[in-house]
Amino acid sequence: MSDKKITKSRFWFEEHEVETISEVPNKKIKPWASDAKLDVVGKPISRIDGPDKVSGRAKYTFDRLLPDTAIAKTLRCPFPHARIKKIDFSKALKLPGVLAVITNEDAPSIPWFHESTLFDSHARYQGDEIACVAAENEAIAEAALKLIDVEYEKLAFVSSAAQGMKNNTPKLYDSGNIHHGKPTIYQRGDAVSGFKEADVIVEDTFTTQCAVHNPLEPHGSLVKWDSDHLTVWDSTQSVFGVRGKVAESLGIPENNVRIIKQYMGGGFGSKLEAGKYTVMAALLAKKLKRPVKIVMDRQEMNLAMGNRPDSTQTIKAGVKKDGTISALSQKSFGAAGAYPSGTGTSWPLRSMYQCPNIYTEEYTVFINAGPGRPFRAPGHVQGTFAFESLLEQAAAKIKMDPLEFRIKNYAEIDQVGNVPYTSKRLRECYELGAKAIGWNKRNKIAGSGKGSIRHGIGMASQIWWGGGGPPAKATMKLTADGQLQVFSGTQDLGTGSYTFIAMVAAEVLEIPMDKIKVVLGDTEICPYAPGSGGSVTAPSVSPAIRDAAEQMKYKLLSFAAVLSHEPIENMRYKNGVITSVNMSSTKYKIEDLVGKLSEKEIVTHGDREANPEGMAIQTFGAQFADVDVDMDTGKIKVNRMVAAHDIGRMLNRKLLENQFHGGIIQGMSFALLEERVIDNNTGKVLSTNLHDYKIPTIADIPEIEVIIASDSDPKISNTGVKGIGEPAIIPTAGAIANAVYNAIGVQVKDLPMTPDKVLKALGNA
Amino acid sequence: MISFILNNTEITTTEPAGSVLLDFIRSQQLTGTKEGCREGDCGACLVLQGKISGNSVIYKSINSCLVPLGNVHGSHIVTIEGIDTGVLNPLQQAFVEEGATQCGYCTPGFILAETAYLLKNNQPKADQAIAALDGNICRCTGYMSIKRAVTKTCTVLSESSGNAKTSSSNLSNLIEKGFLPEYFDDIPGRLKKIPADTSYKIEHPEYVVAGGTDLYVQKEADISDKNIRLIFNSIHLGDIYEKNGFIYLGGGTTVSDFIESDLINRHLPRIKDQLKLHSSTPIRNRATLAGNIVNASPIADMTIILLALDATLLLEGRNGRRPVSLRKFYNGYKKYDLAKNELIRMVFFPVPSAHSSFNFEKVSRRTYLDIASVNTAAYLEYKDDKIHRAHISAGGVAPFPLFLEKTSELLTSSVFNKNVMATVLESARKEISPISDMRGSAEYKSVLLGQLLTAHFLIFFPQLNLMDQEL
Repeated sequence: MSDKKITKSRFWFEEHEVETISEVPNKKIKPWASDAKLDVVGKPISRIDGPDKVSGRAKYTFDRLLPDTAIAKTLRCPFPHARIKKIDFSKALKLPGVLAVITNEDAPSIPWFHESTLFDSHARYQGDEIACVAAENEAIAEAALKLIDVEYEKLAFVSSAAQGMKNNTPKLYDSGNIHHGKPTIYQRGDAVSGFKEADVIVEDTFTTQCAVHNPLEPHGSLVKWDSDHLTVWDSTQSVFGVRGKVAESLGIPENNVRIIKQYMGGGFGSKLEAGKYTVMAALLAKKLKRPVKIVMDRQEMNLAMGNRPDSTQTIKAGVKKDGTISALSQKSFGAAGAYPSGTGTSWPLRSMYQCPNIYTEEYTVFINAGPGRPFRAPGHVQGTFAFESLLEQAAAKIKMDPLEFRIKNYAEIDQVGNVPYTSKRLRECYELGAKAIGWNKRNKIAGSGKGSIRHGIGMASQIWWGGGGPPAKATMKLTADGQLQVFSGTQDLGTGSYTFIAMVAAEVLEIPMDKIKVVLGDTEICPYAPGSGGSVTAPSVSPAIRDAAEQMKYKLLSFAAVLSHEPIENMRYKNGVITSVNMSSTKYKIEDLVGKLSEKEIVTHGDREANPEGMAIQTFGAQFADVDVDMDTGKIKVNRMVAAHDIGRMLNRKLLENQFHGGIIQGMSFALLEERVIDNNTGKVLSTNLHDYKIPTIADIPEIEVIIASDSDPKISNTGVKGIGEPAIIPTAGAIANAVYNAIGVQVKDLPMTPDKVLKALGNA
Repeated sequence: MISFILNNTEITTTEPAGSVLLDFIRSQQLTGTKEGCREGDCGACLVLQGKISGNSVIYKSINSCLVPLGNVHGSHIVTIEGIDTGVLNPLQQAFVEEGATQCGYCTPGFILAETAYLLKNNQPKADQAIAALDGNICRCTGYMSIKRAVTKTCTVLSESSGNAKTSSSNLSNLIEKGFLPEYFDDIPGRLKKIPADTSYKIEHPEYVVAGGTDLYVQKEADISDKNIRLIFNSIHLGDIYEKNGFIYLGGGTTVSDFIESDLINRHLPRIKDQLKLHSSTPIRNRATLAGNIVNASPIADMTIILLALDATLLLEGRNGRRPVSLRKFYNGYKKYDLAKNELIRMVFFPVPSAHSSFNFEKVSRRTYLDIASVNTAAYLEYKDDKIHRAHISAGGVAPFPLFLEKTSELLTSSVFNKNVMATVLESARKEISPISDMRGSAEYKSVLLGQLLTAHFLIFFPQLNLMDQEL
């Protein structure tokens, strides 16, 4: 019987439930026990890529250059909505140093997005790709862009989702501005009768802004053809995803495309999909028979590389006097931008608390602005802010402690699938978090404090999938010098994948971390692993690493058994040395064993096992915020955040804190600072740089305490790991908003909560 | 011909003086210096510039994306590769151990900004060392681990320097402790061999560039290959001195020069803290007073301060010099009284009286590295129980930096009390004409100015309990 089998598995990637058919281990490795004493995993080990990064040696896609590389730049539509009537790039071509120009007239028609092509003559947003120039250097390429004459027919534009929803409004597509022409509806039970059962009904509308990922390393690729084989260095979260899209776009087999990514300067979801720029560079490189490099500037990053769609959410909750939620409904819409992107926000409302009766209706609206892309917990960040804000109103109305109210509605089983959870430790999160923040110090009645600086404490809950699943693979190679190489087609966005992969291997094989070399992000030499999104990387990849390592250990033990003419049961493995229980003289170092083989290496292949059937995998958490609000200036200061989470097994405290701190600061920034601003009169984006698009600096951050309430979730996988990247950001804005409410007694219902909005809410402005 | 030392290598290049230092550095395969925004707003490109001063070199952090190559002539430019001692230095080690690097793209900038602080401060203090990172953006770590790494480094350094020979300079101390490689010792001698810079003497320039911190954001592509006159390096533009009851500042005085001047600190003891809110350290190291004034941003922090100090500009052109009161300098949005070939040679203002108080207030959305929504400065001079002289200015509430003339007049000769405050606030509201923009609505800015003016008076007249009825 084979040691592998093909099976179906289901898990959630971002907001989508995916069903995979993949090869998984036939025999599951016994999960580490929840209380297992592990030597490496769980320890606060410094990241192994740290020295490369602090010394400036780490090479990013932005830093790559090959001899004879041409530099490409993109001409983008300066108007929110236009049709190209004519493009004349003859002047650009005459500029010395300009090598080639491609436009919709001469590039192949490559389908991209919804009903559009790579270079579409219908430009649907300020930033839509019009032409691409390759030149000897960047300055020439930029100068050439200015020499391209484009005759545009300017079209009437739509700059907000509310406007796009109306009947007599400019259309981006013949089929209309509402994606699929209708809302997405979800129903459970009977919301109408559920509201009738309620003693109290609260209803309100909350809005969230459009936010831009703005990773510090801009998007970009370096491409090179060797006859019909294309190599792409890309700053991407998904090497295999990019390979598929690039091969499909160029009409070549996937095996003719190699995608490489070593270090990258962040992504946060914006680099999950292949960029048009990669394909444009590949077309130019083919034409020029030279390598081509293309990187975005900060303006392009803010216009065209994705965003978190805005939202307008009207939420209604029916609550009984004893605190039981009897019904929930949500009607919301959000601006996808010019091309399809998820704008749904109702998942937290559907799944967070126990509630039998639910109705949600969500509209995705096309507007003339940059397309959305998944941004760290898409939908959940917006939805949690609005939903948890409304619950705060409900708790106040029935005069119940907000935390007690949430515990009252604790969901014991998964509300959407009606199946048990693999694990849920949210109660402990509430308990530990409340204690750490000093929950009893909050204002019992919101806004009852005195003085010009008002203090408040608030909280919000978090739910997110983050369980991962197959396929995720790893190859391991042990050589006669005792070095272990680990290959996996996942990627490290800065999250720490290199480090946790080495740690899992070191745990099983009991060898020092510095003997392990981890190779990621190369489709030619690494086996498949999923894109790094949805918080699936560690829960998908770590079990595959353990599988490969356990197989390696088993092979070594079997080999030692053969050499010593003993049954394998008698062999003991300790710190990379194999001994026999019976014969004290038998002692094999693993590198010596490998050295006896003619091939001088042992290779294993590990796979992520299938997820358990009939169970829901979810991460949970609760964040608590302690804030001060200046009643005179409207300024909110977050003093302290406590994040208590259930994320299964913690792989590494240091990496985990990085992820949580970073997620919380992004969440705080979403609550208070960041906003893409469009001028409704001109349809143009006003925030196209890091000055107008504000990200906090070191002076703006609160104290943060991270508490992990879980030890492991052995039902998921052999490592018991759930993801952490997205849980970290989900409840932050909601917790801060509720703390602000606790401080000043009124809600600020529109993010970001800037000082002017706070003063307005207070009635002072 | 531009000559300088890049890390441990003498460089002589014929690249245009207006081209950008960042591009030159990266063209030398020194890719540790990153490009993040090209606008001085992220610090990924931050490097050190060392300039000779007597027998030593003074290092400052700069954003290499905004610095014309011509301005590095005769100086030592240090990138992350230039502090390589063969092993990780204690600061780098602390960054690794505390998890202060995640994606790592911003990390070299952080390390160098901190190195600039350590070079300047013999007794590093954690809060100041953290504040020195005001020009660096990190999108991943949430900064907590960076704070820990910096704090740890400061602790280690101050503990060990307690035992060290007090005679050793800061630089030799850092070399001795393994923070910097030994070649730094030879840099003063090597810099002295580079002939002086004459670029500011260029006739008929297409652009005159001082600090370039805003000009390079707006017009880099235009400037980079043009015939430009770089005035940043002409030292006499940056003098600060007192004469005949006035304080004189060269037009090329940087905000950092201003903050660090003993003379200014003697007369305006709180200015040091107030100007920490001005942009960021690497920008303050390049941004000049004259640049701040001619940029004519309605919200310019330095201009607002100089207005309240009743500054006069000494303009210099082909036909000689002429003084213009800063209050009268502006006449519309980005419009001012400066002829084509004129530049601001000097800024001078009366020495603040011993019986005076000065305050600056600013509200911005972000603590550092931000433009104010509204800012205001106030100078009050007292005689007996009365306000003898009053200068109040306000930014972000008019098309140009505004001197609140009527409001200042109202205060003059008054005995300050709550009633006067009410009339003053009313008057200020009438003098301004804010517009709604990304930094706030007109209504909000009007309210905010009222609050900030009140803040001045709360500080100036704590004994009056101006707010007691509300509390």
